[in-house]
Amino acid sequence: MESAVLFILVLLLLVIGTPIAISLGLSSLVVILVFSDDSLASISLKLFEAMEHYTLLAIPFFILSSAFLSTGGVARRIIRFAIAVVGHFRGGLAISSVFACMLFAALSGSSPATVVAIGSIVIAGMREVGYTRDFAAGVVCNAGTLGILIPPSIVMVVYAAATDVSVGRMFMAGVIPGLIAGVMLMIGIYVAARIKNLPAQPWAGFREIFASGGDAFWGLLLIAIILGGIYGGVFTPTEAAAVAAVYAFFIALFVYRDMGPLKGVPMRRDGESIPAALVRNVGATVIYFVPAMVHKDTQRTLFEAGRVTIMLMFIIANALLFAHVLTTERIPQAITEAIIGAGLTPWMFLVVVNLLLLAGGQFMEPSGLLVIVAPVVFPIAIELGIDPIHLGIIMVVNMEIGMITPPVGLNLFVTSGITGMSLIQVVKAAAPWLAILFVFLIIVTYVPAVSTMLPNAMFGPQLVE
Amino acid sequence: MRDFIDWLERTAISVLLAAMTIVTFSQVVARYVFNTGAVWALELTVFLFAWLVLFGMSYGVKAGFHIGVDAFARMLPDRTFRVLALVVGFLGMAYAVILLVGAWEYWWKIYRIGIGAQDLPIPRWVPYLILPIGLLLLLYRLGEACVDIVQGRRHGIAASHEVEDSVADARDQLADDK
Repeated sequence: MESAVLFILVLLLLVIGTPIAISLGLSSLVVILVFSDDSLASISLKLFEAMEHYTLLAIPFFILSSAFLSTGGVARRIIRFAIAVVGHFRGGLAISSVFACMLFAALSGSSPATVVAIGSIVIAGMREVGYTRDFAAGVVCNAGTLGILIPPSIVMVVYAAATDVSVGRMFMAGVIPGLIAGVMLMIGIYVAARIKNLPAQPWAGFREIFASGGDAFWGLLLIAIILGGIYGGVFTPTEAAAVAAVYAFFIALFVYRDMGPLKGVPMRRDGESIPAALVRNVGATVIYFVPAMVHKDTQRTLFEAGRVTIMLMFIIANALLFAHVLTTERIPQAITEAIIGAGLTPWMFLVVVNLLLLAGGQFMEPSGLLVIVAPVVFPIAIELGIDPIHLGIIMVVNMEIGMITPPVGLNLFVTSGITGMSLIQVVKAAAPWLAILFVFLIIVTYVPAVSTMLPNAMFGPQLVE
Repeated sequence: MRDFIDWLERTAISVLLAAMTIVTFSQVVARYVFNTGAVWALELTVFLFAWLVLFGMSYGVKAGFHIGVDAFARMLPDRTFRVLALVVGFLGMAYAVILLVGAWEYWWKIYRIGIGAQDLPIPRWVPYLILPIGLLLLLYRLGEACVDIVQGRRHGIAASHEVEDSVADARDQLADDK
């Protein structure tokens, strides 16, 4: 009864256009007020307690580091590198776009942001050399979803926080599936390019690979710092995120110089000797360090990151309230008993999870959806002997696909927004690649090793309590 | 005045985020370079984080960046959509009022008892002050949004997705290329 009221209320509120956070919060409040005798004080306190969660503390830092590095300038560097590496295959620009999306995803951790940054550059580029608009938009729309699967990923942090698994394990678990998804898309493009006789870019030579790679290196080093730091036990994921944010600030303002006081100042002037350039740059870095911290570009980036943090954490805090209601009403236990009692096998259960998330992904922001669904499906999965990390990756991939599934997949909207195509056109353009991702989802769901191999090899097998 | 308050809100958001980053980063530096660390650093970061989100949620209403699913509501005729937006505004205010009552109860309790924070040398009611204040601001901004909707200055309460602004920028850019 309570659970029915809860879910109907949420859906009703969402459909009339209530912000997701308030929909979750208000329906939880109504259920608490009507059906339980929790004190209001303890409920309000829950809002504050969301920010006391140590794992969730990583979120603002990851958002900040991505705000510094998911700029047009970094996107252009990554695209140049991607074209140098895989551009000479048939369909090269499209394949490079996928590769660029994978690299950029690792920096940004957000799927729609990846679509905007990479898409706004490569879609125009692909059309110039003769790709159809549909082909270009469809590829980027799909490849952009890798943003939440390739670590570091905010959705994974949320899953780890909701289920108490390790963030480091989740990050490692995303690596192989992320590579597989990218390669599957690339192969699909190559086959399509052979059939449609799409152009290849000229082979730029190893010099260009090294030059563009060296340029993109500083940004991409961020991933190595985060994953290496967590794996090596140098810092906790939360600290890794804070270090990443400071590193991203430094790279954006003093190395790439797309923003800040040194914008437009070259690393090496014409005819300048290397020692002289070195002294000048180190000097400039020292002199401008404090001005850079208060520069208006830094302020703007901080505010942008703050904006996304607030939006996301407000949803997560309310989703935690919602999850609290679910648990106090013993809904997960009831569902677990029903599922176990019905004799559902693990495979059938995973299909149910797939369907549930694909449907839920239509209405909900991925992190919020995870906070709600994880406490319900997690105990069942443990009962059925499914690896928690494997379940996490399945959930992330499902949400990824939810972003490109009509009618209200987020990436569809974003792609339609940047290209000016109608939603229907984008849905049609994305459909063939969506089919590839569906095959990928089946692989991830039914081959646990794809997700668990790497984390188990690095951290030892996952123990289930 | 309006501009000043807006500047104040944006600056507060930026400074809170910067502060929590610097505190956490300096802890890592302190541990590895100076082999030391402050016990209260984590608690301070958590409080800054809570202030960021609980203060910022009202700015989110004002700036319209809380996302919702408006795909269905936007299909309705404009008049109906506006009525619905108003309903959403009122529901949001109900949400804020309920939580505000609870927040005040809690805050008043810890203020009277006067317990201290865990590691920081301050009373517990200081950081928790943001809970009632943030909710009060949220209530105020929702009320303001309702007035704006009635007067036709504002369309709805929620944004459709997190990258609305950058999508608009990117579209302008692509349009220029053609």
